[in-house]
Amino acid sequence: MATEFHNLQELRRSASLANKVFIQRDYSEGTACRFQTKFPSELESRIERTLFEDTVKTLNTFYAEAEKIGGQSYLEGCLACATAYLIFLCMETRYEKVLKKIAKYIQEQNEKIYAPRGLLITDPIERGMRVIEVSIYEDRGSSGSSSGSSSVSVSTAR
Amino acid sequence: MPASGADALKPSAFLPVCTATCLLVGASSLFFVFTCPWLAATICPAVPPCCAILFLFVLANFTMATFMDAGVLPVASEDEDKDDGFRAPLYKNVDIKGVQVRMKWCASCHFYRPPRCSHCSVCDHCVEDFDHHCPWVNNCIGRRNYRYFFLFLLSLTFHMMAVFTFGLIYVLHHMDDLWKLHFTVTVVVISISGLFLLPVLGLTGFHLYLVSRGRTTNEQVTGKFQGGVNPFTQGCCSNMEYLVCSPISPKYMARPCKKKVVHVQPPFLRPELDQQMPVKVGDNGLHTLAVENKRPSAGAVELSDIKQMKSPPPLPPKPDRGLLKSHADDVGHHSKSVIPVSIPTVPQLRPVLEAISRGSSPIPPEQLLKASEQQGNIKGPDLCSGFRESPVRGIHQGGVSIQPPLQPNTVYSSLPLNSRSLTLKHSCRYGSKSQLPAMQSDGWGSSPPAGIITSSTLLANQSSSSNDGPSFDNFINPADPQLMSQRGVNFHSHFMMLGTDGSVQCPPPHSYSPVFMGITRQSPQPRDSSPSLKGLTSRDPSPSLQGFIQREPSPGFQGLITRDLKSQSIASRDVPPPGVSVRDMSSQSLRDSLRDLVSQDSTLPKSAAARYDNFSKTIMASINERRELEERERMLRLQTRPPAHYCADAGIYDIPSKRSLAPDNVRPPGSRGPTPPAYGSREFLMSTGILGYGMRTSPLSNSSTLSLTHASKTSSSPLQNCSSSSLQNKGRSSSPAYCPSERQTASSTSTLPRLTTANSSAPPYTSYATAKRSSLPFPSEGKESVTLGALK
Repeated sequence: MATEFHNLQELRRSASLANKVFIQRDYSEGTACRFQTKFPSELESRIERTLFEDTVKTLNTFYAEAEKIGGQSYLEGCLACATAYLIFLCMETRYEKVLKKIAKYIQEQNEKIYAPRGLLITDPIERGMRVIEVSIYEDRGSSGSSSGSSSVSVSTAR
Repeated sequence: MPASGADALKPSAFLPVCTATCLLVGASSLFFVFTCPWLAATICPAVPPCCAILFLFVLANFTMATFMDAGVLPVASEDEDKDDGFRAPLYKNVDIKGVQVRMKWCASCHFYRPPRCSHCSVCDHCVEDFDHHCPWVNNCIGRRNYRYFFLFLLSLTFHMMAVFTFGLIYVLHHMDDLWKLHFTVTVVVISISGLFLLPVLGLTGFHLYLVSRGRTTNEQVTGKFQGGVNPFTQGCCSNMEYLVCSPISPKYMARPCKKKVVHVQPPFLRPELDQQMPVKVGDNGLHTLAVENKRPSAGAVELSDIKQMKSPPPLPPKPDRGLLKSHADDVGHHSKSVIPVSIPTVPQLRPVLEAISRGSSPIPPEQLLKASEQQGNIKGPDLCSGFRESPVRGIHQGGVSIQPPLQPNTVYSSLPLNSRSLTLKHSCRYGSKSQLPAMQSDGWGSSPPAGIITSSTLLANQSSSSNDGPSFDNFINPADPQLMSQRGVNFHSHFMMLGTDGSVQCPPPHSYSPVFMGITRQSPQPRDSSPSLKGLTSRDPSPSLQGFIQREPSPGFQGLITRDLKSQSIASRDVPPPGVSVRDMSSQSLRDSLRDLVSQDSTLPKSAAARYDNFSKTIMASINERRELEERERMLRLQTRPPAHYCADAGIYDIPSKRSLAPDNVRPPGSRGPTPPAYGSREFLMSTGILGYGMRTSPLSNSSTLSLTHASKTSSSPLQNCSSSSLQNKGRSSSPAYCPSERQTASSTSTLPRLTTANSSAPPYTSYATAKRSSLPFPSEGKESVTLGALK
């Protein structure tokens, strides 16, 4: 909760959740995790198309990296088998590592790009990797200085 | 047993798993205790350790299969499914590698189940890649734990075979000690293992088969891909590799929450719209879009307009800027948004678009003129000021449209035509267009025969929505670059063609083809405007354009074209000399629209008329020549085109530039152009009669012109046409769309488009869904054979 004052008579402006846009999965290449990069029309006036598409494309890249079948995943499987899967108690899987990277990336994007534009991106993992939820906030205008205003604080991870 | 459903927690649900556990552990323990010592002593000391390892493996996999989250999808929040309310269709089609797959709405979890996802009634949750609910482990087998389940089965099979074999050896060696404890126990053990070996072996073999085919149990027993193509298989070896080596997907439920707070506080930044559209700097009070967009989120009018318009992606502004700048210099003002200003905004055209979508008769030009008049009230001297509103929107629109034509092509099939036609109308009405850009008939109207053009091309011509920015460019080519530069007008039929210095560059003959050919499916949203625009144009072979062409210096046309070309500064008061050579004015639709518009407009500013009179003879000659050519083409097509063979490919926005369609005249009228759109894509299904699913011909160019024909011919909603046409442009004949547009659209195909080809015999695989968002005027009559093939 941060209240921003520019001067004593600064009006506290708050934002309220106006709408949510859901970026659906792109299943054209199978069930691999990929999100549609189509720019939703609701965001046309809120954010530049390129920024948004970059975000989604980067997320897609992350997920592709996480789901890549390669040497690392094979070794991980062998090690798990060899230890009777006890390794999962101590070690983090590759996917989980990438998910952490993704969460960090989303957090960074939110802070740098989306929050200043009144948008917030929710990590898809919280939605079962089905959608990317973009919350659109509207300027509710300024409230009285006496009342406690609040900026919208959204936790990016639940 | 992570079972949250009521059934899974019932005591009776634990019976099988307890039985299985007891049998497994008990029998194996007995084996190790009573049989293994003798085996170690007699056969090999390595036998018990190996059996022990195997047994541990069995246990580990059993434990993982039992306790691991199968990939449970959390229930969707209310916000997510509020859009999919009561009107939501039960099924949603999605195209996976060309195969139509159905996504069913899960009433319990409130989302459309992803492909391969199913709802487990025992556990009462949706599971990703659902295989089955195994009672022996009392858990769903899904994406995350199928590997463990499979390995459990495999290892259990080996284990049971080992136990049975070694126990048998022991028994056979101790036949004389029948009543010894060890003997009895071993007999019991081999009885149990032998009894359950066959079912387990059968189950293992079954799952081996499933893995080799890339199917889940659920898909196998429901016969989903029985006779068709399974899009999820990657080949036997790859499937095995995926089974064993794929990374373990994360669990979705009960994730560790890390609270990270992000503050969202106004004022909010707004996108720099001028980056997306030409910056318009009017010297007579016109608002610059950049300025307006920079206003805080108080809701700039332009922004709201933009929202309303739902314009397609903006075009790259650079060439336009260069053009505009140079143009501005030439005309004494710098307005970057030439075309947009003149384009009636989508809101204005909405009634027309709606009329078109309804298939009703288009709104007479008078109405449209009125609408546009109301909007901007732009008239000659007040051109600049009058465009205050429309330019803003136009700018936005123009800016939006100032992008590579390839992008918005798919969706806005009719939009380019519409925008163009509207532009023409505008210019004709207000006539203050400084230039009359040469109509690039090959862009739109030139290639298809006049008769083909009709509504679709007319729409394209008339639509002046900024969404159709690129379409304008496609259409409008400076007939005479030299002439253009003479006049100081920078015409660029294609934004790409615009020189940085603003000089007119004659676009390459095939400059437009990629625009139309590379159309991908896009969301239907932008299509919403097109129908109304379409309605604007009459579907009959509009004689208007023709008449216009014939009509010599028609100020309206001049002005119309000028605006349409977008290469002129609409806001410029200085009507540039009529350097615009309407090269492609021969396009029938264009002509028709122009004529209609021009005929309606009797209040052209004098300057426009003057400008028109100044058309060079060269331009007029080329115009006439083109017109004649178009007429011939039209007649030819009208005569020879079979009614049912409409190219499935994109009708409206598929219209390539005439130059790009080399074998235009030699193509059979009924030949199909690019293959129909991707199956399962909404656009594909929604393509209406315009885009008949007749035979598909690979050459895109062939279909392009025909698509024009089809698009223009049918009065179906351009909405569907646009979408389907974009899909159809893919050029695939038999398999479902490889249309990359899939990615773009939600691909919620509700109904199949009206198929006019004989191929539409297969039962509509995707027609069960009610049209949630689409209102197809033509319910699917049949199914595209290709679609069927894809399904298979």
